Amino acid sequence: MFEPIKVSLESLNLVTLAPMLAAVAGGLLILVIDLINGKLHKSFYVMLTMLILFIDLGATLGLTLNERGFFNVMLEDGVAIVSQLLIIVASMLFTPLALTSKRFHEYSYPEFFALFLFMVAGFQFMVASDNLILVFVGLETASLSLYTLIALHNRSNSYEAAVKYFTMGALAAGFFAMGSAVLYALTGTIELAQAAEVLASRIDNNALVLTVLGSSVLLMVAMAFKLSLFPFHTWAPDVYEGASAPLAGYMAIVPKIAAFAVSIRIFGMYIDLGVEWVREMILLLAVVTMTIANLMALVQEDVKRMLAYSSISHAGFIMAALALDTTEGAAGIFLYYALFMFTNLGAFAMLWISRHKVRRFNARFDHPYEKFAGLIHIMPMGAVIMALFMLSLAGVPPFSVFWGKIYIMQAAVNAGLVWLAIVMGLNSAISAYYYLKLIVYMFLKEPVKDVDTVYYNLSKPLMAVIGLAAVATVGAVFYVEPLISYVYFMISASGY
Amino acid sequence: MEKLVYIALFAPLVSSLFAALFGMMPKKQFVGVVTSILLGISFVASAILAHYVYTTEEAIKVTLMDWIGAGDLHIPFGFVVDQVSVTMMTVVTLVSTVVHVYSNGYMDHDKSFNRFFSYLSAFVFSMMVLVMSDNFAGLFIGWEGVGVCSWLLIGFWYHKPDVSREENPSISPSWAANEAFIMNRIADLGMLVGLFIVYWNTGSLQYDEVFAQLPHLSGSVLNAAALALFIGAMGKSAQFPLHTWLTDAMEGPTPVSALIHAATMVTAGVFLVIRANPLFSMTPEISYFIAVLGTFVAFFAASMALVNRDLKRIIAFSTLSQLGYMFAAAGLGAYWIALFHLAAHAFFKALLFLGAGNVMHAMDDELDIFKMGGLKKVMKWTYLYMGLASLALAGIPPFAGFFSKDAIIETAFNEGTYILWAILVVTAGMTAFYSFRQVFLTFEGDERYKKYGFHPHEVYRYVLIAMSPLAILAVIAGFFKGSFEAFVTELLPEYHMSEHTHHLAWLLGLVVLAFAVGGIVLAYKKYAKGLKRDEALEATWYYKLLANQYYIPNLYEEFISKPYAMISDIFWNRVDMKIVDATVDGIAKFLYGTGDGARRMQTGNLSNYLNWMAVGAVLLLAVAAISAAIIG
Repeated sequence: MFEPIKVSLESLNLVTLAPMLAAVAGGLLILVIDLINGKLHKSFYVMLTMLILFIDLGATLGLTLNERGFFNVMLEDGVAIVSQLLIIVASMLFTPLALTSKRFHEYSYPEFFALFLFMVAGFQFMVASDNLILVFVGLETASLSLYTLIALHNRSNSYEAAVKYFTMGALAAGFFAMGSAVLYALTGTIELAQAAEVLASRIDNNALVLTVLGSSVLLMVAMAFKLSLFPFHTWAPDVYEGASAPLAGYMAIVPKIAAFAVSIRIFGMYIDLGVEWVREMILLLAVVTMTIANLMALVQEDVKRMLAYSSISHAGFIMAALALDTTEGAAGIFLYYALFMFTNLGAFAMLWISRHKVRRFNARFDHPYEKFAGLIHIMPMGAVIMALFMLSLAGVPPFSVFWGKIYIMQAAVNAGLVWLAIVMGLNSAISAYYYLKLIVYMFLKEPVKDVDTVYYNLSKPLMAVIGLAAVATVGAVFYVEPLISYVYFMISASGY
Repeated sequence: MEKLVYIALFAPLVSSLFAALFGMMPKKQFVGVVTSILLGISFVASAILAHYVYTTEEAIKVTLMDWIGAGDLHIPFGFVVDQVSVTMMTVVTLVSTVVHVYSNGYMDHDKSFNRFFSYLSAFVFSMMVLVMSDNFAGLFIGWEGVGVCSWLLIGFWYHKPDVSREENPSISPSWAANEAFIMNRIADLGMLVGLFIVYWNTGSLQYDEVFAQLPHLSGSVLNAAALALFIGAMGKSAQFPLHTWLTDAMEGPTPVSALIHAATMVTAGVFLVIRANPLFSMTPEISYFIAVLGTFVAFFAASMALVNRDLKRIIAFSTLSQLGYMFAAAGLGAYWIALFHLAAHAFFKALLFLGAGNVMHAMDDELDIFKMGGLKKVMKWTYLYMGLASLALAGIPPFAGFFSKDAIIETAFNEGTYILWAILVVTAGMTAFYSFRQVFLTFEGDERYKKYGFHPHEVYRYVLIAMSPLAILAVIAGFFKGSFEAFVTELLPEYHMSEHTHHLAWLLGLVVLAFAVGGIVLAYKKYAKGLKRDEALEATWYYKLLANQYYIPNLYEEFISKPYAMISDIFWNRVDMKIVDATVDGIAKFLYGTGDGARRMQTGNLSNYLNWMAVGAVLLLAVAAISAAIIG
């Protein structure tokens, strides 16, 4: 006979679970409300989602630093808290975009919002644990919800995007599971903290090199897929193109923040253990990704695809910070995303204001450059704001992304990798070309006369979000200092 | 008093910005009125400051703000109002005010009326910064500022097309503007080098600190600094061989010629030498060189004025010549006399130019004095003004020019440089001749203009009234010589004639006067009864040499401009296009091509994508394995 297991409620430390629970319960609530009354307007769900995200944010802010809970599975350290905050804030920026002036298919389903909240919860689980099984569960929860959200956009290339993403995601999940299994075989545990201890005692055993190699490479492939690093990025442009513009902007940020949080835990462990080739691998991935993605962005004819490649390039840029394995490097990752978030979401949201059901300009693309020709005449304010976002993405001071770039480059120099900083600088120079190309189209070209441009998707919430993003982009110089010290404190407090 | 300093300095800036507000609009009469009033305010403030400095004998120093602080270099935005600067301020603002009022009439029909006033006031502001600054850096800012304004104003009618040198020696306004600017840039390089030498060796750019350090410096350093600074002065004051731009600058509107290219900006070089007199008085060789060059230019420019037919160019040559006189005085150590001639010259030369502007206005912009004559019947007042100004310029007592120029010539005698003295005396005679040749050809004799179908008329009355202060000063300025000397020698070194010279003063004055009167009489004989052209004389080589400005502009074109253009062309076509551009294009093409190549992996086919993932995994594994094998 088994003894009944007795668990005291205090030892569970449920507070550590509170943020995710808020999101999950909120998602369920939405589903229940829909069951009771199916005729509610979408704005109700938007507001409800915002409310739930606020509760989630509050719960996250209320967490005590470096607490474990729920059988030591949850780990609310600085990395977890900072990445959760970023995830929630980005989600709060994204949600109001559902309040468009035109009716869009996906937002009329309450399930959209429920899935969205489940996805947020999934990402939060992913970042707030060093247990590979929980990480995996979180990852899959979030991914499955995301696939569905993409498909809900209800266009043929949305389905295509969702299926592609799903299939490739399944393969990546396989890699992750296999990597975890090898690590388990190697150490007998799936908790990274314990695995590190075990590995430390065994790392000198040459017979085990192959398994260390296997586990790290398999996990790396899985993460590289999530982070859309070359050559695992192939899904990204297609999926971004298929998804709605705001969701594409969202996907360029939130899943990657979560994946970076996990990467810091996993690969930081390897590098700390002195497995230098993990660092080499990351550096190679980073440099190749930022360069190739930049070059591919150069030749795009569609602004959305250009932005997709540019966000891949940015991911490569940030990946380089991971290789440093210094507190400064890890802080740089989150700082960069905190700054990049507003600009990138803003830029994608700007595409959203000119959404057409039919492709007016080009048989193949939704947002070709020609569509933005002479925007300064049609929509002067919009053109200026878009130009601000482009300048920021190009890393022009004093706009937000510049500070992130300079911080990571400085971290690279401090870590003794001067050549890396130079490569980063060169890539920023190349990227300026395609960002400025859009500015040239907007400001210096005449509008395409024979195709009328109807900017009908402009709503108050959209303008508010874009305005907020613009303010955050322009005003970065005022808040970057405290932001750096907060992020740095949180990261160093969790021992990275 | 501090407030007055700021009013005097910033009223022209306010004026310029105000006019700039309407810069692109059609003519607004109030722009001209408001700017004139603001300039008048600036003049009144300057005059009060002058009175204050005169009575209290102390300089006013103000610091607006710390301007540059980098390492050991501290340059405050400081201004000093002392005897020298307040003289310049008063002269500059007075002439500027008159010219502003005058321009209301002169630019009456111009499309860019408002823009003109904006530039003109901006010039005055720059000039004020130049003269009021208490350090070399501020001086240099003003120096460049007046250069830019001069460029804007010479090229004010930039729309006029280029013509050949035979048709118009200055080709076009925009060509002349560029020539002036580039010549000045060349000289400014010398100026900058001078400033670097000064800063390098004294560690400061403040006048008083620099001058206090001078005795500790070696002779060669002092010589280098003085020479380099003087090169800057040569550019701005159009001394040989950088003189060609000044006559070409006559392409600008005539009020500009009066204000910038006669009364104020071109005297900045003289001002620099006067301001930096402690430096120049410690370098006798350089100073002597300045005196010799000044004397040469005085003669050289006067000789070209003898045969010129262009009303404005004659006056421009005379400006050059008078600047030569000023440098001669400054070079011989008589700084206060140079400053006195500068002030007196500003009045009568501005008057002369404005008078010429009246004639131009009456003659539909015709400048050839051979086509004029007999204008006194219709332009009595202008004749009077120009006659007065010419008498002053010729150095006839009791007009202003007599006192100031005679003092310079006397100085040359006093210093024992008899050759310089002789040249200056002869030049005085030439000055009188060409001035009155011009006046008589314009106003006396037969009315040749009728043949060409002109209908001259006198200008607006208020324009004539506006010119009257200059006319009065051209007459009486000389009487203040004694008090002026007492005033400025508080700051500038005193200069007294020796006992010997003093005794001979009346005789020397008489010699000069004889030459001047002789020049006038000669001009009267030849030209007062009408124009009788002397074909034989005009065909001689020396006449042609003078008429073509010694062929110096052609020389510059053949030996500097053309080879330079050729080298530029080679660098552009061979080096820039084929090497630099091609390299940059090559990199861009390579990057673009790589992007295009990499794009092929984006097939849109899911199986391909999955294959890529597998390939990536294998590659990563390989990389990890290889680096594991290498690093261990």
